[in-house]
Amino acid sequence: MIDYYDWPGGREAMLRFGPADGPVVVAALPLFEEANRTRTFVVTILRLLAARGIASVLPDLPGTGESLVPTAEAKLRTMREAFAAVPGSYAIAIRSGALLDASERKGRWHLSPQSGPELLHELNRLRQAGGAEDFGGNLLSPALLTDLDTAEAELARVVRLESDPKPADRKFSGAPLWRRAEPDNDLPLATLLADDIAAWVRACEG
Amino acid sequence: MLPDGTLEVENTVRAVLRDVLGISEARAAAFTEATPLFGALPELDSLAVAGVLTEIEDRLGILIEDDEVDGEMLESFGSLTRFAASKALK
Repeated sequence: MIDYYDWPGGREAMLRFGPADGPVVVAALPLFEEANRTRTFVVTILRLLAARGIASVLPDLPGTGESLVPTAEAKLRTMREAFAAVPGSYAIAIRSGALLDASERKGRWHLSPQSGPELLHELNRLRQAGGAEDFGGNLLSPALLTDLDTAEAELARVVRLESDPKPADRKFSGAPLWRRAEPDNDLPLATLLADDIAAWVRACEG
Repeated sequence: MLPDGTLEVENTVRAVLRDVLGISEARAAAFTEATPLFGALPELDSLAVAGVLTEIEDRLGILIEDDEVDGEMLESFGSLTRFAASKALK
């Protein structure tokens, strides 16, 4: 169901899933191109959470999705402020979405979180590959690039893919859909992740 | 755990190409040292190269400098694997 939320800078759309009561999980997609590659996958996870009795929302942030703010004007501070204004006790994020999740929550869960410097390294490589001023098709503000230079994710339950050597609370077998040029989905992986999120929410709720 | 042998590096590069380019397990398994990559694999355009290199960096725990990336390194499965092994196993 499509709904809206207000933040100090305006109003943005959000998708709502699951029951009308109980704890709400707020989800953050990765920034830029990876958002397009993972949206279907994240919506699949949120539908599976709904089937497990857990409500969730997937907000557009200023400068992302259907937002009227152009991507070239997106700022880390305003995206964080808007994300913080979305009501919900828990936050889940994928990749660079973890950088947007800086608000007060009862708990956070991050899949393969990416730091600001790691994202910048990748953006610079995309710009070089394209041979122009854009970063894989996106024009980005100098302010955003400067903020990313020092941006880190908050402490969270961290899960990663088995192919990723970085430490994690738990690892899952699967391919990194955020790297695919053609958006894809992975129902078995989405099911395992939804089970992990549901168990984590229930453990936090006590 | 980071891969610590040439065969492991080769398998990592093979898995990265399969995962990033979305090609089948069978096609990736058939790659040999002589299999041509850049210019021969339609899925491997310049933006996909960026994803392949970054994913290889993440999985092998290495850093690839921009001036190390050239046509020779991406010419074949063998040349890409040799490059990755030279970084990962030193």
